[in-house]
Amino acid sequence: MPVDLDTSSAMTVSTASGGGEASVSSSGDQTTEPPQPPKQPSAKKKRNLPGTPDPDAEVIALSPKTLMATNRFVCEICNKGFQRDQNLQLHRRGHNLPWKLRQRSNKEVKKRVYVCPEPSCVHHDPSRALGDLTGIKKHFCRKHGEKKWKCDKCSKKYAVQSDWKAHSKICGTREYKCDCGTLFSRRDSFITHRAFCDALAGESARVQTQPNKEEDPKVQTAVAASSPPPPPAMTAQPSSAAAVSSVLPTQSPELPEKATTQILEEAPATAAGLNGGCSSSSSSSSIGSSSSTSVFASLFASSSATASLQSQTPAFTDLVRAMSHTDHASKLASSASIEPISLCLSTTNGSSLFGAAGPEHRQYAPPPQPAISATALLQKAAQMGAAATNASLLRGFGIVSSSSSAVQQESSQWSRLQLEPENSSVTAGLGLGLPSNASSGLKELMLGSSSMFVPKQTTLDLLGLGIGPGGNPSGRLSALITSIGGGLDVTAAAASFGSVEFASKDLGRSS
Amino acid sequence: MNADLRGNPTQISIQNPSLFNSIPETSLAGALKGCLGSLDGACIEKLLLHCASALESKDATLAQQVMWVLNNVASLVGDPNQRLTSWFLSALISRASRDCPMPEISFNGRNSIQRRLMTVTELAGYVDLIPWHRFGFCVSNSAILKAIEGYSRVHIIDFSITYCMQWPTLVDALAKRHEGPPLLRITVPSYRPPVPPLLNVSTEEVGMRLANFAKFKNVPFEFNVIVDSSSNTPCEMISKESHSFHLESLLSQFNPSMLKLRDDEALVMNCQNWLRYLPDEAECSTIRETSLRDAFLDLVKDLNPRIVVVVDEDADLGTASLTSRMATCFNYLWIPFDALETSLPKDSSQRMEYEADIGYKIENIIGFEGFQRIERLESGSKLSQRMMKAGFLSIPFDEETLGEVRSLLDEHASGWGMKKEDEMLVLTWKGHNSVYATAWVPNSFEDN
Repeated sequence: MPVDLDTSSAMTVSTASGGGEASVSSSGDQTTEPPQPPKQPSAKKKRNLPGTPDPDAEVIALSPKTLMATNRFVCEICNKGFQRDQNLQLHRRGHNLPWKLRQRSNKEVKKRVYVCPEPSCVHHDPSRALGDLTGIKKHFCRKHGEKKWKCDKCSKKYAVQSDWKAHSKICGTREYKCDCGTLFSRRDSFITHRAFCDALAGESARVQTQPNKEEDPKVQTAVAASSPPPPPAMTAQPSSAAAVSSVLPTQSPELPEKATTQILEEAPATAAGLNGGCSSSSSSSSIGSSSSTSVFASLFASSSATASLQSQTPAFTDLVRAMSHTDHASKLASSASIEPISLCLSTTNGSSLFGAAGPEHRQYAPPPQPAISATALLQKAAQMGAAATNASLLRGFGIVSSSSSAVQQESSQWSRLQLEPENSSVTAGLGLGLPSNASSGLKELMLGSSSMFVPKQTTLDLLGLGIGPGGNPSGRLSALITSIGGGLDVTAAAASFGSVEFASKDLGRSS
Repeated sequence: MNADLRGNPTQISIQNPSLFNSIPETSLAGALKGCLGSLDGACIEKLLLHCASALESKDATLAQQVMWVLNNVASLVGDPNQRLTSWFLSALISRASRDCPMPEISFNGRNSIQRRLMTVTELAGYVDLIPWHRFGFCVSNSAILKAIEGYSRVHIIDFSITYCMQWPTLVDALAKRHEGPPLLRITVPSYRPPVPPLLNVSTEEVGMRLANFAKFKNVPFEFNVIVDSSSNTPCEMISKESHSFHLESLLSQFNPSMLKLRDDEALVMNCQNWLRYLPDEAECSTIRETSLRDAFLDLVKDLNPRIVVVVDEDADLGTASLTSRMATCFNYLWIPFDALETSLPKDSSQRMEYEADIGYKIENIIGFEGFQRIERLESGSKLSQRMMKAGFLSIPFDEETLGEVRSLLDEHASGWGMKKEDEMLVLTWKGHNSVYATAWVPNSFEDN
């Protein structure tokens, strides 16, 4: 079989399930298994469901290369590419080359369906073949191709250019804007933001200024569901509620009387609004404002309340309770003084364990080098690690104890563990073989290990701080700690490092 | 090694790198043998496992060597594998420092929780970076909406770590309900596990804002906090050690009178990323024979809720074996890291904060044991078995819910998908299970 080239012989139609790139099996009247879907009437050109092909159709399997190629027909003179042979022929006229337009054949054209070359794809099976050449091409690109087209505004990527174009047309057109100015392309993000945004909170804050006055029984019937107070003439946009309510402060002293009449007039609308949709109700139930909820409440009490209004009684008291609880809690919170202690990994510093956050911390390898030779690493690891002690482990990571006696104890304990199994056989590869075996094996490899473990220099290498050997020790140590402790205050750390008493910094304990 | 080795500086020369090839059996060399060239995910995983087993057997040398190698791979600004490695390394060091007990050092820098406090609007943006949380919200709200049809009062008891971020969209949907909005009550426990994402305001403040929003949407609303022993402590002040204590206290409040349940309301239990914080071993709970997790489910069942929605991450990360947790953790948490890589630029601070929060989780899962290891994630299939054993029946999700999820996912990167798996709806990233959502009713449910 010839290799697939950009010529019209890219597909082969045969009855045998032959080899080569493009093999074809003909379904329907020729071979054994016709596809499942029922036979469609051939009188009208009817559009089948995707992937339910006409059982009489000829199944064609094109190669991936063919499917992805955009311009299969190329002019030999100027190399211009065309999607269709007809177009190429017409182009050839311009070069005064012999051209030939294939006539539409008189006999009934056999319907062709196409299968996807990807074996794991559902459309690989002839019974799920697609009926359209362009369709199978797009399908292949979309599902199995590389997404080369990227939308400018959002991060979506597309493999088919027409998909990308279609998306770009609508991207960013539907936008929601919060009163605070933030834009959202998704409604649920917008709603969630809106619910908690200060803009909304601010506008209703006035309404709840005096929670303690709510002992009045009339108040009990107040509705927690009342909408914020915009003046009557407003548009249907919820955002205007905020804009409008900013007008309120100036009116509030005089409002009670004015509001009364307004509210009474609009009460029926409000009641209706409670049962209606949300956005329409917020615009139609334009209730005059008042600076005190009690006025509100009494007005509702006097209006012809619906059943839902009356059931608001406990709602309001509980809301009030929640609000007073808030005051209490917020006092507590502020007294607990939640100051941002830089203990956490992601601080304003942005620093973390080995991150290159602050200017004084440079990474060992400037921007990530994924292609580090494993053997080189192994060499280095062995070099510095073979004689490690317990203390060295910690020292290597910047955790140093002030007393060395404990260190000695630990280290002897540990070295005992390690030196014992000198000649045990080592286990294979991934096997999580006994590490003691491994280290002794490693020792053999390294020809007797005893390299001096020089804490400071090696430590620096380990952490890759790139600090020169001539630096001041406590500076290095504090730098180490900072990089390890992820944002510990450097000076504090350096100062207190001897006793290493971090308790005061740890909020988990109240010392 | 002991002190006298240190005393004699000897030059080490690695004669011949190919020596490694001829001795393929040593753990570290063997681990790296297949990785000559770049260190990819599989190699990193091997190294992590080696380190874990080294720590388990207190082999300081090997542990240190592996950590050194990992350090060269790790990078907070690199590709997902590098970032993940960075957080894993951090967790390992944390563990190492604890495994090597040194009483005069209380190195608590690593043990404290992430202290980054967000504003409510920042949190709102946070849960939207990737559909990780939003998926659970969407499925749950849709199921809840269906379950409360016809009720004029709804009471949701909300156990989650996202501070009511789920509810605005539900409030919005309720406002548009054909028969009008019901009265909505949301009750939250005052105790919240000390894990990120953390807010800079109290739960009550969040409730206030939500109430405000409900008012704006004309939905009658009530917000309650279950008062218990932790009520006076801000979330970030709570230590892991007191975690079980607070949970016990919470469960003791779990009865109809303390929760102020009413007969005419539809009771909804919403558990998002929550059950994992309930200890599963019977020994962790002092008073009961059953584990706290099962006890909780029994209590829930007794309250006869209309629906119980359980959403969590689909991975088994609560096993006793460090090495098994290590492998699962690495392979599972690669998923959000990869998703973030696709969705946000490398230097995005939002992305790095999100990753830091995942790093916190890694640290807890890998770096701690016993009471302090509060992250005990259970996969969806295991959870489903547990629910069925506790006497719940699963509720299938209807076409409307599926459609909503599909539209949600359409608006995000194309790697996100969804699939139905037994009783669960699962969010997938590039085919890997990430978050599962399930809905249940007690199997002896009687209509009120």
